[in-house]
Amino acid sequence: MENTVVEWRGVVKRRERMTLGPVDIELRENHVTALIGRNGSGKSTLMKLAAGLIYPDAGEISWFGSAYPDGIPAEVRTRMSYVPENFATEEDGIKMDAAAEFRSFWYPSWDWQRYEELLRKFEVPGGKRLDKLSKGQRRKFEIAAALAVRPKLLLLDEPSSGLDPFAWKTMLEEIRRCVEEDRATVLLSTHIVEEVRRMADYLLLLDGGRSLGIREKDALLDAGREVWIEDDEELVRELPGVTEWARESEGMIRFVTTDYAGAAALLGEAGVRPIRARALELDEMMEHWMEGRLSS
Amino acid sequence: MRIPVQINESSAEPLYHQIETQLRSLIVTGQVAEGTLLPSIREFAADLKCSVITIRRVYQDLENEGLLRTRQGTGTFVTRVDTDDREEYKKQIVLEAVRSLLDAARSVGYSPEELKALVDETLRKEERK
Repeated sequence: MENTVVEWRGVVKRRERMTLGPVDIELRENHVTALIGRNGSGKSTLMKLAAGLIYPDAGEISWFGSAYPDGIPAEVRTRMSYVPENFATEEDGIKMDAAAEFRSFWYPSWDWQRYEELLRKFEVPGGKRLDKLSKGQRRKFEIAAALAVRPKLLLLDEPSSGLDPFAWKTMLEEIRRCVEEDRATVLLSTHIVEEVRRMADYLLLLDGGRSLGIREKDALLDAGREVWIEDDEELVRELPGVTEWARESEGMIRFVTTDYAGAAALLGEAGVRPIRARALELDEMMEHWMEGRLSS
Repeated sequence: MRIPVQINESSAEPLYHQIETQLRSLIVTGQVAEGTLLPSIREFAADLKCSVITIRRVYQDLENEGLLRTRQGTGTFVTRVDTDDREEYKKQIVLEAVRSLLDAARSVGYSPEELKALVDETLRKEERK
């Protein structure tokens, strides 16, 4: 039903302080994937590989169904937009509109109306030189320019850094619009849990360069529960995915599981009804995932 | 439009099930009327902070039940619910509530007689209001 927009097979990239990979992932068309992981886990390296700015040492990356070992043709490149974490200094001396003019020349799908509209929404003053913009303004300009391309693949490396909460909200709305109107596929790296909650369909987790794969956000959330039941130690010891348990009071046990479906099935068999259950927060589940406490 | 569906963090039910149950009940009770254009999958997902995969599943299930219809290019609409179906759905919703009432009574050791007495008493009080 859905096409795969980006596909990685055994991708490895050696960097000075860490090696990324092997990474095997697929990004489905018209979905948003949040790239998460600690500092230095290889997120920006993965982003640059996805943008075709650097090439893997091993493995293969394909875009829109084809791999391009001899370089990505312009026709394919112009369907992608990438906003890096740190901006290149080459364009520093030029004015915003000249930089936009330059991009409109390279990208046939460039939409001036959308560009103007985005600058207005982000309240970026026009006509300024790029190196005269504040950090936040510069990011807003780059995001506006990336969206004005009306990309099919949108790659954003920590797009929210330096944005105030209002601009942040506008940005999320506009990315969403890009997904709806342009049917874009989005990969965005972030440290902000709320951003993942609001935007992501899938999560991709890196840990020290190692890929822990992709999971569906809601499946991840549905798997985690903190549960209170009537005291039955033997039963709790049998339940799958239990990461901690304690006897909270006379006759009551509390436990945390990362396999609630499995645990609920066993509880049902034993005829035990939870006294109370609470969904774990997304960040709690992300931590369990990072610590390898999730069942596959 | 924004649909009054709310995710309950202290529910043991999976997300899609919570959303589906609430949306179904809004439709069969007529609170969301026939012909209403529902939000797009992405919009609804953003509203509830869940993934489009979940919302797609909910729309698909309710479409299979005949409560929704998707028209290519326009969106997903609420279809007409037959009166018989509506009565049956209403019964199902109340039945589910009665079952959880029975669970609650059982968990605190209420006998069926005590429960019946309490239900009668509550009904009488409500009628007097």
